[in-house]
Amino acid sequence: MSTETGAGTDATDAGNSPASSIDLESVRAVAKKDFQDAVRSWLFWGLSAFFFTLMAALAGFLSWANPDSFTTISFIALVSQVCKLIIPLIALLLGWKAIAGEREAGSIKILLSLPHSRKDVLLGKLLGRTAVLSLSLLIGFLIAMVAVVFAVSEFSFPAYIAFLAMTIVYGLAYMSIAVSLSSLTRSTTMAGAAMFGIFVLFYIVWNSIRTALGLLMQRGYIEGVTYTTMGLTGQQIETTRLPDWALFIDMIDPGNAYQNTITLFSALSSDRIGTRFPTAAFPDGVPFYLEDWFSLLILLFWSAVPLAIALYRFDRVDI
Amino acid sequence: MPAITVDELTKRFGQTVALETLSFEVEDGEVFGFLGPNGAGKSTTINVLLDFVRPTSGSASVLGMDAQRQSREIRQRTGVLPEGVELYDRLTARQHLEFVIDSKDATDDPEALLERVGLTDAIDRKAGGYSKGMAQRLMLAMALVGEPDLLILDEPSTGLDPNGAREMREIVREENERGATVFFSSHIMEQVETVCDRVGILRDGQMVAVDSVEGLRDSVDGGTTLRVTVDQIDDDALQAIRSLPDVTDATVESHAPPTVVVTVDGSKTAVLSVLEDRGIEIQDFETTEASLDDVFQSYTTDTETEVHAQ
Repeated sequence: MSTETGAGTDATDAGNSPASSIDLESVRAVAKKDFQDAVRSWLFWGLSAFFFTLMAALAGFLSWANPDSFTTISFIALVSQVCKLIIPLIALLLGWKAIAGEREAGSIKILLSLPHSRKDVLLGKLLGRTAVLSLSLLIGFLIAMVAVVFAVSEFSFPAYIAFLAMTIVYGLAYMSIAVSLSSLTRSTTMAGAAMFGIFVLFYIVWNSIRTALGLLMQRGYIEGVTYTTMGLTGQQIETTRLPDWALFIDMIDPGNAYQNTITLFSALSSDRIGTRFPTAAFPDGVPFYLEDWFSLLILLFWSAVPLAIALYRFDRVDI
Repeated sequence: MPAITVDELTKRFGQTVALETLSFEVEDGEVFGFLGPNGAGKSTTINVLLDFVRPTSGSASVLGMDAQRQSREIRQRTGVLPEGVELYDRLTARQHLEFVIDSKDATDDPEALLERVGLTDAIDRKAGGYSKGMAQRLMLAMALVGEPDLLILDEPSTGLDPNGAREMREIVREENERGATVFFSSHIMEQVETVCDRVGILRDGQMVAVDSVEGLRDSVDGGTTLRVTVDQIDDDALQAIRSLPDVTDATVESHAPPTVVVTVDGSKTAVLSVLEDRGIEIQDFETTEASLDDVFQSYTTDTETEVHAQ
């Protein structure tokens, strides 16, 4: 092997180092310890206070401004805009040191000298940190609920809880990305760089792709789909949208997927906001991968795939 | 069945060879001192035993199980004190121990464990505020959880004061009497010589000597060194000393005041008698045993391996 560096030995060893097993008791023990550890950090309490303040401030402002028929879903749609941007930052912040930090401090040897497999450690870390994020969301959302109940015209408890659940799933997706990347790097410096890369990818690059595709369509490089809708005054308007595959690329972003899922549970309240794409835009029917439930699948994809890669890799490296 | 078997173990990190066809065995029930200077490969060996790193070639087995394939089972029955490790700053000693007890499905009492290592006072204090010695005591307590069949202690005396190091050795003895095999790495000879049944000396990834402490001591050509300060010395007296049966060497170290250095295996009084018989006044004398440190030095430094206690 010509490029034999520290990681170079992995490939040769992959054959004789069997994949580790998963023991649920071990996962639980690691998750519990990690939760205990993280729950004592200022970050946790800061987060809970932050979510509470965010929700209460928005609700307070709304009840003061008192717009007509402001529903639970309208509130959720508004808060989700903020959560879409904030949750990834928090998840990356909570998760980036999960494994890399322990490797740097050497304490990973405490975990791994106990009867835990590497997979147990990864899963336990992911669960522990996700639990921390979820608990802070839960505390923040529940306290703020008092304010929300007064702010909206017709409070829907199921929709509110569904929103909380979806936000937790969104947090899980980013936590999975963070913890997985953390396990693939040897130092916190590298892990930090990886987190920054993710941030740039989904905050900047992904949005630019959409804009770029729109521009390409305008210039005629991409063939858009033209359809007609009814305007406000009843006249026919001809509109062009991006083709299906371009819309799908946009949907892959976890943040967009998260926002799309709100339509899934809007039916829980009296306020249906319909699907993300108007049916009129799809004369031949909406392809399955653009339907709203597919967004949930995308979120689950982001939770599972980075983790699967990390589980495979982490078993094969030298600590 | 040996507690640890290392067979033709080689580990390379890129171009660096950490271990080179290393082979040795640790018998069941013994205290084995694993000695070597920093960078000799001690930690790498331990890392292979615990499956933290994978061998480039060769194999290791612990408690009769393959170190890679049955690592979880091995670690269930092994207590480990790792080296160069930070504790969890925000967790207390009690929480650290509870985590280990929980992980090993053991039933130990955290307080009793901390009492053994002398850290009861700090039981509910966060480890972030611990001194190095306190951290080391806590990690020793964590290694003792679940009455392990094998204890792997990597540089356990790090950060301990002489008293702490003595207490640690006392615990090693107790654990050994309970039936545990102890694998004890150190770069300081005197820490292993009082507790270890056998000592293996590692150098540049290879075992250069494995023997009992006595055996190692005997392997050194040295005996006792006698240093005598006298009022005067002449060649006749020196020749007379050299001709004594037990004396292997005698030299004049300095002339102001004259000092004779004699290497002697048996009676030291014979040397003193020779001097006194010639009317040479003995002002002072001291003897030094060839220490195991000298043995260690001889095996781990680049000088010729014969030891001359001087």
